[in-house]
Amino acid sequence: MAKLTIDGIEVEVPNGSTVIQAAEAAGVEIPRFCYHERLSVAGNCRMCLVEIEKMPPKPVASCGMPVSEGMVVHTDSEMVRRGRRGVMEFLLINHPLDCPICDQGGECDLQDEAVGYGRDHSRYDENKRAVGNKDWGPIVKTVMTRCIHCTRCIRFSAEIAGVPELGAVYRGESMEVGTYVDKPLSSELSGNLIDLCPVGALTAKPYAFTARTWELRKTDSIDVLDALGANIRVDARGAEVLRILPRRNDEVNEEWLGDKSRFSVDGLKRRRLDKPWIRKSGKLQPASWEEAFAAIADRLKGMPGERIGAIAGDLCDAESMLALKDMMSALGSANIDCRQDGAALDASRREFYLFNTTIAGIEEADALLIIGANPRRESPVLNARIRKRWVAGGFPVALIGEHADLTYDFEHIGNGPAALQSLADGSHGFAEALKSAKNPMIIIGQGALARPDGAAMLAAAWALAVQFGMLNADWHGFNVLHTAASRVAALDLGFVPGAGGKDIAAMLGGGVDALWLLGADEFDTAKIGAETFVIYQGHHGDAGASRADVILPGAAYTEKPGTYTNMEGRVQQGFMAVSPPGDAREDWRILRAISAYIGHALPYDNFVELRARLAQVNPVFAAVEQVRRLAGTDASGPVAQGAPGDAALVSAVQNYYQTDPISRASPTMAACVAAHYTVVAEAAE
Amino acid sequence: MNSLETFLFTTDLGIVILTILKSLALIVPLLIGVAYLTLAERKVLGAIQLRKGPNVVGPFGLWQPFADAIKMLMKETIIPAGANRALFVLAPLLTFGLAVTAWAVIPVSNHWAIANINVGILYIFAISSLGVYGIIIAGWASNSKYAFLGAMRSAAQMVSYEVSMGFVIVTVIMCVGSQNLNDIVLAQRHIWFAIPLFPMFIIFFISGLAETNRAPFDLAEGDTEIVAGFFVEYSAMSFALFFLGEYANMILISATTTVLFLGGWLSPLPFIPFTWIPGVFWFVFKIFVCLFVFIWVRGTLPRYRYDQIMALGWKVFLPISLVWLVMTAGFLEIFGMLPHA
Amino acid sequence: MSRLGNTAAGLMLNEIRAGLWLTLRYFFKPKATLNYPYEKNPISPRFKGEHALRRYPNGEERCIACKLCEAVCPAQAITIEAEPRDDGSRRTTRYDIDMTKCIYCGLCEEACPVDAIVEGPNFEFATETREELMYDKEKLLANGDRWEPELAKRLELDAPYR
Repeated sequence: MAKLTIDGIEVEVPNGSTVIQAAEAAGVEIPRFCYHERLSVAGNCRMCLVEIEKMPPKPVASCGMPVSEGMVVHTDSEMVRRGRRGVMEFLLINHPLDCPICDQGGECDLQDEAVGYGRDHSRYDENKRAVGNKDWGPIVKTVMTRCIHCTRCIRFSAEIAGVPELGAVYRGESMEVGTYVDKPLSSELSGNLIDLCPVGALTAKPYAFTARTWELRKTDSIDVLDALGANIRVDARGAEVLRILPRRNDEVNEEWLGDKSRFSVDGLKRRRLDKPWIRKSGKLQPASWEEAFAAIADRLKGMPGERIGAIAGDLCDAESMLALKDMMSALGSANIDCRQDGAALDASRREFYLFNTTIAGIEEADALLIIGANPRRESPVLNARIRKRWVAGGFPVALIGEHADLTYDFEHIGNGPAALQSLADGSHGFAEALKSAKNPMIIIGQGALARPDGAAMLAAAWALAVQFGMLNADWHGFNVLHTAASRVAALDLGFVPGAGGKDIAAMLGGGVDALWLLGADEFDTAKIGAETFVIYQGHHGDAGASRADVILPGAAYTEKPGTYTNMEGRVQQGFMAVSPPGDAREDWRILRAISAYIGHALPYDNFVELRARLAQVNPVFAAVEQVRRLAGTDASGPVAQGAPGDAALVSAVQNYYQTDPISRASPTMAACVAAHYTVVAEAAE
Repeated sequence: MNSLETFLFTTDLGIVILTILKSLALIVPLLIGVAYLTLAERKVLGAIQLRKGPNVVGPFGLWQPFADAIKMLMKETIIPAGANRALFVLAPLLTFGLAVTAWAVIPVSNHWAIANINVGILYIFAISSLGVYGIIIAGWASNSKYAFLGAMRSAAQMVSYEVSMGFVIVTVIMCVGSQNLNDIVLAQRHIWFAIPLFPMFIIFFISGLAETNRAPFDLAEGDTEIVAGFFVEYSAMSFALFFLGEYANMILISATTTVLFLGGWLSPLPFIPFTWIPGVFWFVFKIFVCLFVFIWVRGTLPRYRYDQIMALGWKVFLPISLVWLVMTAGFLEIFGMLPHA
Repeated sequence: MSRLGNTAAGLMLNEIRAGLWLTLRYFFKPKATLNYPYEKNPISPRFKGEHALRRYPNGEERCIACKLCEAVCPAQAITIEAEPRDDGSRRTTRYDIDMTKCIYCGLCEEACPVDAIVEGPNFEFATETREELMYDKEKLLANGDRWEPELAKRLELDAPYR
């Protein structure tokens, strides 16, 4: 530890820290453009100049200056101010004065710092530099004339995203950032470049020119488009959600967000269900709530409980699933299931379905085995965390399943379950790596579970975890990588078939006479029995709605307060950003209303009571924002049914950009698919 | 005398017809006078405020009163739901009717009056006192607090100033020895009463302002406090009748002032060529001057506070007029100038 | 004594005579009235009248949808929506001014970086219905086209003081 003084404040920081980090610790803000705490130090903007006593009498760039014992730093001396003013003048020589048409205007670092250090006029009479714009695909819009060469984007794509496709060509004033050959950015994290860019050179293409920051109403929420539970901020104007930005949460998403989560917002206003519909003589007709409720009550009257079933979808909040579950038990039905994909998830013990290592815990692991998953597609931010650990070194990774570019090196053991056996009997070399590791971890994906031999795969993976000592009192290396945001909360609530209840496979094909789909679209609706009465409660006109007999318009995740549990079991709450469109209502209200209509009124009248009921059903819901790694003390595994088959393992997510009704309705996501997957297809031909 | 004259002056029917003709000859010019008084008021106030006043309708705005009249006629007469309909309609008729009735005894020139009665001045005093009924009825019938407040103010004010007005009139009667208006004018052949009775003239004129609810005593309307006072609920022709009544009253007070203090139809300069000019002209001219002063005062003075009005009436005018009455009586007695002593 | 003097002065109506004298003098002074529809006062180049959206000489609309006027408007009378035009430039799809809300402070004009929204010399834009005072982009641009010579002149005259 080194002790130093910054503007009269004494701080102690670890050796090897830089002055700018020490200043951060002291609470002193130093302006910066190129420095970013999660990226390597570049030191090329020179804005972070400070004065250090007993050094050569010149300003020093604080981002690159390591601390030493007894340093005395001044961040606001006359010399520093003059230095920063000079730097600012140089930056503004070539920066265009187009703030009024720049989407960064109002949230621009350069604009903010220019208020403090800029001159009121330019002393530069020559022509400004002009750079042609690049086409970086449907997400990032470039206005390269505005670029100040901080290289944050280059460092992000090389270091964090692991897709080193950006670089700088030419030198000095002629320097240009680009991909050299124009092509869409191939990273699933490319949206973060927009946040990182300190000026308006990289802005969001779908959001271009639509709003100004000061017009937006900002609401904290939780992302539901993958199972990571990324913390997001929903920016809305009026009744319209305009953009989604990540919120910083070092335990979950750091400050990154996947492109799907960020840019599916335009799907929130397309293909929406904004009024109830009833199927009359084969065609769906608009109806009133009263008519829809009457139609449902009519069909459910006198129907025995065991002939009614319910399936919860992937985007549901815990509250609405609980309300549905309570209503089903009031109707005398145990036919409930949340595993639309048929994944063999064992709800009997929490550690069988959680990402037990925790997301931040990945950084403590020292060996990783991935089974039947493609983390880059299934949860790109989690993949960035794995890459972060891999970059740190000493982290052997192996993959069983579909070969793919995961942005880090790994050993591909095999495509099928047979490879598991080669590890179990030690015949594969990676067994040695796992054995010698102190904190090894396994990630098993839905691709391995959602198949006929899923239960056997789960048991086999658990057995491997036990065999390689991944379970002990302070480490738990068994991880399930989920793809559905609602899944863990549903399992915590016990949204699985009760005693004598039917699971999804049994419910389909005429297993029940009435089927309640709570936003469930991710299964083959053609398998629902032809005579089954289908009630679809959800927000988008997707697969479920097109099969439905009655449609109840619900709210999307930005339109209701909700509790979500991410794959590591972290309970998080989002707030309501806008009202649901048209006649649509919050889902729990719909369930509360219809339960009263059919004579089984749910015992909660407001959201507070519902949340209390949630905590009563499972105490984990009371511990919001807390996650504790379970101790791997019980080695007894899930019940194995049969042995793994020999079909090749494939990832559960083949198309990252379209996994749910919202992203399927989004034109931006469609453009991303066109930009990325056709390229792949052409390459394959 | 030809037969028409015989008919008109001797038969009962003839006298009735003659009286109606005489009344028309008075009322028609009076109404036209009222109409143009509204225009004159706006013009004079405008001039005092460096404006031109109405000048768009017709040459110099001379058709403005007719435009106003047409506007008033075309508007809807609104009777408030809570109003007493009969009284509500009666009030403006009463006000306007009384303002016209008083004119019956005013001598326009020597013996030119519809009714040259020997208690003319008492008649005028009585009729103008009745004017308060129109206002009280309007305020009460409107069933509105502002109207009622305005009516109360107006009634109290008119009653108060009538007292001192009465003393002023007594002083004049004392000097003349007759209550016939014609005699009062003729008594001023040598000197107008405005000169020897100057303070009484001023008191009479100011009381006249108060009696007609004119500025600075226009508390009954008091637009800034009670919207428009007793006629806040009136619209269209019923409002116009109040308006006409108010202006007719102004002319009446001016005429009374002229008769009592300014020598009526007498020429101000009793020699040729002024004596050639008919008395009617002088009478109208003097009324005109009085009316100008009415408007001029309105353009000059701000509105009194209510307690100030009452204080002025009871504590200043009443004592002064009383003292002056006694002094005049003493003076006339001492110098033996009492008429018909 | 002074009280007696005051009373005497009051009885002599001194102040009222002074007031009457003053108004009488004004009565004869030249009048300031302008016969409005036929005569008009000259107005300053900074006169804040009816709004207009200007164009460049080549016909391109100036407004770039920066929304600074919307942000600065103290009466929140301006509503702007924007999106990229076909040629990729930033333009408004909607530019509405609620003239019944507008307080004619001129801050929109001050805020505009491209002199697009201006308050022109026209103050005679009374309408028969309230709806007609909800100006849209089309109306504002038409105003701009109609008043452009005067608007340009006014800006030129005011430029030295900006």
